[in-house]
Amino acid sequence: MVTIIMRKRQNRIFKAIADPTRREILGLLRGGPYTVGEIARNFHTSRPAISKHLRLLRGAGLVVTRKKGAANICELNGKPLRAVNEWLRDYAAFWDENLRNLKHFVEENQ
Amino acid sequence: MSSTDADDAIVKEIIIKAPAERIFEALVDPHQRVKWWGAGGRFQATHMESDLRPGGAWLMSGIGHERKHFTVRGEYRAIERPRLLEFTWLPDWQEDAPITVVRFDLEEKDGFTMVRLTHSGHTTERSRESHKGWPQILAHLQAYVVDKD
Repeated sequence: MVTIIMRKRQNRIFKAIADPTRREILGLLRGGPYTVGEIARNFHTSRPAISKHLRLLRGAGLVVTRKKGAANICELNGKPLRAVNEWLRDYAAFWDENLRNLKHFVEENQ
Repeated sequence: MSSTDADDAIVKEIIIKAPAERIFEALVDPHQRVKWWGAGGRFQATHMESDLRPGGAWLMSGIGHERKHFTVRGEYRAIERPRLLEFTWLPDWQEDAPITVVRFDLEEKDGFTMVRLTHSGHTTERSRESHKGWPQILAHLQAYVVDKD
């Protein structure tokens, strides 16, 4: 089970996606780049709150921002999610093994 | 052993030739739990503490990868002996990860029991109702990333 080691980077990614608003932002950005203002218009939360969410997403490497004139364009970068995907895959293997152990233990010790 | 695609979780099923009560016992009795919870020398549970009641705490520790000590703990959320066991899951090797929930459903029929394990990202009943779980979101995003490459 300790093959499922969560590194600091992965922790940041998990934290970033643990929040429903941030997951919605990621979902929105799947459709293409948006400015911060455009993102904020899709939510009932205040713009500073959205900026804060975006900072966290940028920190996790899930969103990249570039300047276009006066506006900040946000884009999705899904690559860091690979690490998390691996984590999920490790857990799937982990449960497979443990269920098999449970089966053997119970069937041999009736 | 089979895996099903759930909306929001890792789901695994296995059929065990034993009554549900016997399997439930192996899941909740600390003495029995440490006898099977492990995998091919890669990790082995050696100790378990368990306050088996809703809201009660449980803790399991052992030796893992590169002989490192591990602890995983949580709280029991649902206990319906011998059909259902649900608890939160907080491993010490992933401090900032969201709390996940592990659930065992046991369905006995003709001397066999179907054990279904569900490991989901939901932390509360409310989040279950109002949001999709994070593994599903991940799957969507992952599909997007793969398409793009």
